[in-house]
Amino acid sequence: MMSWLRRLASTRLTLLGMVLLAIGAGLSYDNPADVSVWVLAGPLLLLASNLFAAILTQPGINRRPGLLMFHIGLLSICALAAIGRLTFYDARVEVSQNGAFDVAAVDEISQGMFHPSELNRVQFVQQGYTVEYRPGVVRGITRSYLQVSDGRGGWESKVVGDDTPLVVDGYRFYTTFNKGFAAVLTWSPDQGEAITGTLHMPSYPLFDYKQANSWTPPGSKKEIKFWLRLDTGMDEDADWLLDVSQAQSVLVVNNGEQRLELQTGQTASLPGGQLRYEALSGWMGYKIFYDPTLKWLFIASMLTVLGLCLHYWAKFKHQSMAIMTDKQSKT
Amino acid sequence: MIGVFTELPWMWAGLFAYAIATLLAFHNVWQVGANSAAAALPSRQGENRILLALVSGVLLLTVALAVRWERLGHGPFVNLFELLMSQLFSLGLIYSVIYWRVPDLRASAVVVMPLIWVLGSWILLMEPVDSRFPPTYHNDWLWAHVGFGKLFLSFCLVAAGLAGVILLRTIPYFARCFAHMTDEALDQLAWRFMMLTLVFDSLMLIAGAVWAQDAWGRYWSWDALETSSFMTWLSIGAGIHVRLTYNIPIRLGALVILAIFFLAFTTYFGAPYYSESAHKGVI
Ligand code: HEM
Repeated sequence: MMSWLRRLASTRLTLLGMVLLAIGAGLSYDNPADVSVWVLAGPLLLLASNLFAAILTQPGINRRPGLLMFHIGLLSICALAAIGRLTFYDARVEVSQNGAFDVAAVDEISQGMFHPSELNRVQFVQQGYTVEYRPGVVRGITRSYLQVSDGRGGWESKVVGDDTPLVVDGYRFYTTFNKGFAAVLTWSPDQGEAITGTLHMPSYPLFDYKQANSWTPPGSKKEIKFWLRLDTGMDEDADWLLDVSQAQSVLVVNNGEQRLELQTGQTASLPGGQLRYEALSGWMGYKIFYDPTLKWLFIASMLTVLGLCLHYWAKFKHQSMAIMTDKQSKT
Repeated sequence: MIGVFTELPWMWAGLFAYAIATLLAFHNVWQVGANSAAAALPSRQGENRILLALVSGVLLLTVALAVRWERLGHGPFVNLFELLMSQLFSLGLIYSVIYWRVPDLRASAVVVMPLIWVLGSWILLMEPVDSRFPPTYHNDWLWAHVGFGKLFLSFCLVAAGLAGVILLRTIPYFARCFAHMTDEALDQLAWRFMMLTLVFDSLMLIAGAVWAQDAWGRYWSWDALETSSFMTWLSIGAGIHVRLTYNIPIRLGALVILAIFFLAFTTYFGAPYYSESAHKGVI
């Protein structure tokens, strides 16, 4: 057993593992979906077993506290990264202004096979948002205003952004460039109950030129086309603030041959019912990220570096930096 | 456009001071080679002059950076022009401190200064374009990431300088110039700096990962820069292990150090500009 372990602990195997890991990293570049996770997981498993065997059998490592701490740290980073890959969750969601976050609307989900799926516990309501823009339509700071459930029946106000996520139960919600306007519409059919809903327009200002969407009233086969004509104060050559509450809009409704322009509060008669343009609203696109290992990875990597520092301290504390053979005769 | 010119004269003056430091470094070594005494030592006075020129260069570049910072309202973190300028400053600053505190590695200046000049000549050929500060750069971890990165590259530069001296000693003329040192001692010192390089590279990656988590909602995603910097980190570990496992000849070790420096250098100044997707927050 011991001789087998010793063979597994060979530092030549370490070098082989490192070369394979470098190749795996090269192949994973830009994370193409068609690359197997094994190009990284394989070399990491090899290195982890090699390292584990070395820690058990090599006095070069296990008799030196700092070096031992460093290598155990490397091992724990590998283990944590693996746990992270098995439990992570990554997705996108669009939340309408004055609307609640809805798990059913979550999109582009990728997740580890042991992800605990507790996203339905997250409760927040989107309020307004503002985005600072600089000349050249360069996006600056995003401030998204939320009401977040405190879990005891109350609500807390929070402002989140691109780098200040909302963190609830380990799920992190980051604002993204993907956000825009929405039209709040009420459809009162000739027979039946009126319904109010929000129609999201494409991302703004990215698709400034095509703020359009369509909707088919229930029971109808004919699609109604909408186009939102906006005045947001956008100035390509100056600073400006994207703020839904300050924007002006006209909703252009195209129903076959019929073309109407609605201001907020106006109603149009269409075949089958009445359409009222209630208000201009917005929506925010979030990136959702969950990885329970984040904090532990940070602690483990800091301890790993500390181990390395302790090792070098022990190794070099009695050695000076002097390398000259003769120091007397300097002019 | 007028504003752009205000920092340029300071930068040119800084580079001029670096040019003087470079010439003085060669002169000092050349003088040792010309000395008929065996294993003559470089002139201490000459070394002081080199240090003075270096420090002047650093001070002038500090002014250039401050002027630009004031003008644009943000630090030199965004485009290649700024990265080169701030590295010229920080490599010069950290190397000056090491040059001053560790007299025994001063011989490395003949290699270090030309390496710094790779950046110097590059920046002279560049358009001094202004940059815009991306929203994701308003983060304290940026400072830690950049700071550790500067120490990492500077220590790697010193190790490369010492490795360069080891290789120069294979040329008879330079062997005479550096006769007062041994390959073994240079090798020890160079690898000691590689170990510091590993420590600060690790810290740079950790700070970068924390920042990336805040900025882009993921701590690691194998973009061009992340892949390249991971390979650099791994190559330092592999270099240290190769040296331990195979007890490689000193000159081969010096080549390994130079290869790692090359990788670190391309990570810094190649990868972010080679790929559109590098550090996505910039876009
Ligand atoms: C994964 C498998 C690994 C194994 C089995 C391993 C094994 C060892 C052993 C046995 C030593 C002690 C050598 C001696 O002085 O007798 C050592 C030292 C060292 N290892 Fe590793 N190692 C591994 C990975 C790594 C990695 C990934 C890095 C860094 C990137 C690394 C960095 C170091 C350093 C810096 C030293 C100290 C060198 C010195 O003090 O001169 N190791 N390793």
